[in-house]
Amino acid sequence: MIATVISVPQLIVFIVSVVIIAIGGVGLLSARYPVHAALFLVMTLFGVAVLFIEEGAEFLAAVQVVVYAGAVVVLFLFVIMLLGVDREEITSFAGDTVRVALAGVGVALILAELFIVATGAWVTGAHAVAGKLSAGSNIGVLARSVFTTYLLPFELTAALLVIAVVGAVILSRRMSGVAQPRAHESREV
Amino acid sequence: MGSDPLLAGHIGWVVVLIVVIKVIVAFIAMMVSVLLAIWIERKVISDMQNRIGPNRAGPFGLLQSLADGIKLFFKEDLIPERSDKFIFKLAPYLSVIPAFLTFTLVPVGGIVHIFGHTTELQVADPPIGILLLLAMSSISVYGVMLAGWSSGSKYPLIGSVRASAQMISYEAAMGLSIASVVLLTGSLSTRDMVTQQLGTFFGFIPHWNIIRLGVIPFLVFIIAITAEVNRPPFDLVEAEQELVGGFHTEYSSIRFALFYLAEYMNTITMSAIMVTMFFGGPDGPDPSFLHWLWPIVWFIVKTAVFFFIYVWFRAALPRLRYDQLMDLGWKVLIPVMLVWLLVVAAMRVSRPLGFAMVGLGIVGGLLLYRAIAVGRDRSTARELARPARAELEPPRERREDHGDS
Amino acid sequence: MAQYLPIVIMLVLGALFASGSFVASGLFAPRRPHRAKSAPYECGIVPRTELAERFPVRFYLVAMIFIIFDIEIIFLYPFAAAAGELGTFGVVEIATFALVVFIAFAYLVANGALSWGPKRGSSAPSGMGHIDLKELTALMVRGGHD
Repeated sequence: MIATVISVPQLIVFIVSVVIIAIGGVGLLSARYPVHAALFLVMTLFGVAVLFIEEGAEFLAAVQVVVYAGAVVVLFLFVIMLLGVDREEITSFAGDTVRVALAGVGVALILAELFIVATGAWVTGAHAVAGKLSAGSNIGVLARSVFTTYLLPFELTAALLVIAVVGAVILSRRMSGVAQPRAHESREV
Repeated sequence: MGSDPLLAGHIGWVVVLIVVIKVIVAFIAMMVSVLLAIWIERKVISDMQNRIGPNRAGPFGLLQSLADGIKLFFKEDLIPERSDKFIFKLAPYLSVIPAFLTFTLVPVGGIVHIFGHTTELQVADPPIGILLLLAMSSISVYGVMLAGWSSGSKYPLIGSVRASAQMISYEAAMGLSIASVVLLTGSLSTRDMVTQQLGTFFGFIPHWNIIRLGVIPFLVFIIAITAEVNRPPFDLVEAEQELVGGFHTEYSSIRFALFYLAEYMNTITMSAIMVTMFFGGPDGPDPSFLHWLWPIVWFIVKTAVFFFIYVWFRAALPRLRYDQLMDLGWKVLIPVMLVWLLVVAAMRVSRPLGFAMVGLGIVGGLLLYRAIAVGRDRSTARELARPARAELEPPRERREDHGDS
Repeated sequence: MAQYLPIVIMLVLGALFASGSFVASGLFAPRRPHRAKSAPYECGIVPRTELAERFPVRFYLVAMIFIIFDIEIIFLYPFAAAAGELGTFGVVEIATFALVVFIAFAYLVANGALSWGPKRGSSAPSGMGHIDLKELTALMVRGGHD
């Protein structure tokens, strides 16, 4: 079904990006150091960006790289560095049967879901949900739907960002609160 | 929307060949211009400082940077034993490849016909357009950040954490400034940006974005990208008095050369992007012969002017302090640019809306001014309740004292 | 899709150039390893302590604010590209959005999240000339134990 929709170069791009995504995903899980895991995450995000470009959704590809790889993972890396876990934290679940069992259940669920998605009628093979692309870029189509049809979710995003800001401030307060006991009375002139 | 007519139709071998030729020509041009740029920078700086500068290798020392580059191939390549070897080797790639890719966006000249095909004189004109610049500058943050982190050494680590915070801060200002140009162009494509700027007002004032958009976005952009490529006066990354060499202290031989190359390539590319976005790109007077050549000449001249301005910055301006850097980025550039962008958007719709937006901007400015004052008081109060340890100082004294006691 | 072909070729060329340089350097460069050469560079001082750094929470806050602004900027791009069609409605919409985000930003600034520098406008003895070296050393030594 898919082979009739996409051409050979597209197939190559698809395979390459899927391989990138898969390596990134597996690497993310198996990396010993948090920083390596974060890098594998970047790799996965990059692969997804390539897939978006392949689908003609170049704006989403840019979002994928700029926001996720460029901002969110940088935040992860800052947190990793902030906590100083860079090299010491080597996580191992060996012997922890409860966690292994939970992880197994999770994997089984995801596999089942994948199976349902793959065999059900969800995959249509159609390119880009925004309809047929007019000329080159679909950013205009996206803008029209975000700023008219999905106006409320868009404005709610702003509210979400405010919540994130408040959360960050409170978290950082608590973090610097940890340092507070070290404060020396002699400093308070 | 952005698309190169060359790649719009069927892609045969001739088309692929043309693309490969374009890429290779651009690549070589980049390399040569980096060599020249380093020479120009050294010569100009020495002139400004009453020195002679490089004058041995080749006429006027022109081959000095080439000689330096070749020399670096013959230098021992050291990998610190405490480093994270894989990431240490990966980081130069993450620095240099975005630098190459960003340049593909720049329109160097007009539209030409070769081998019976029509093509734009720029390496690529994808629909993603200028967003590629944002994406690549996000990736190049990783180059700097990981280089410092993986070195397993104090100064590079401090340098890289500083640098990445600096780069992401100014990336926001840069993004806003680019958005204002996109607003005016109505397209992400760099080619569209350039074609929109052709022509003149009243027959003699060029129809460039710097005039159509006001000078603010340009100023924000030039400051933001100076910080983005870590050029002086924003070179806190490699503040040699405090951090030895910054994030690439541990790099030697060709790995160091790649970082150096990436820095200069970014500087040149950013000058070119600035020309593209605000100064009409290859637009300029066209004498009636050699039509294909003049746009290229104008483009190179304009880019060279901006590169010279960078060099001038380096010679003239003292390095900023870290708090000044952060304050400038977050509390000046971003709010100003945000308001300016909204005002431009509103003015394009209608005058009253535009003035309403100006009012809103003033209110916002006052609010922010108050917020800054409150924030300063609060952090002062918090600082007093804490031991006097400058947070950005290398904590080495503390550690070493600890070792002694 | 085809429009990205030059970028892919440039990517390959750049990667080849970088790796080719490493190969060339591997061929030409001498290899005389020494313990001192592979030690962290600290201007000649022998490094004695492990590198286990913790960074101020402000860096985390900067990254957090950056995400927020990045999201705002990324929403501005579709608006900018389609501003002509959206008209007054679009401007009002984006201004509302920007205002809400701006208030969040002002809140952050008011909390001192972006105040890095030396403290101005306070009578605190935190000026450079006032540091009591003895007290400072004592603080550092004690601070190093937790």
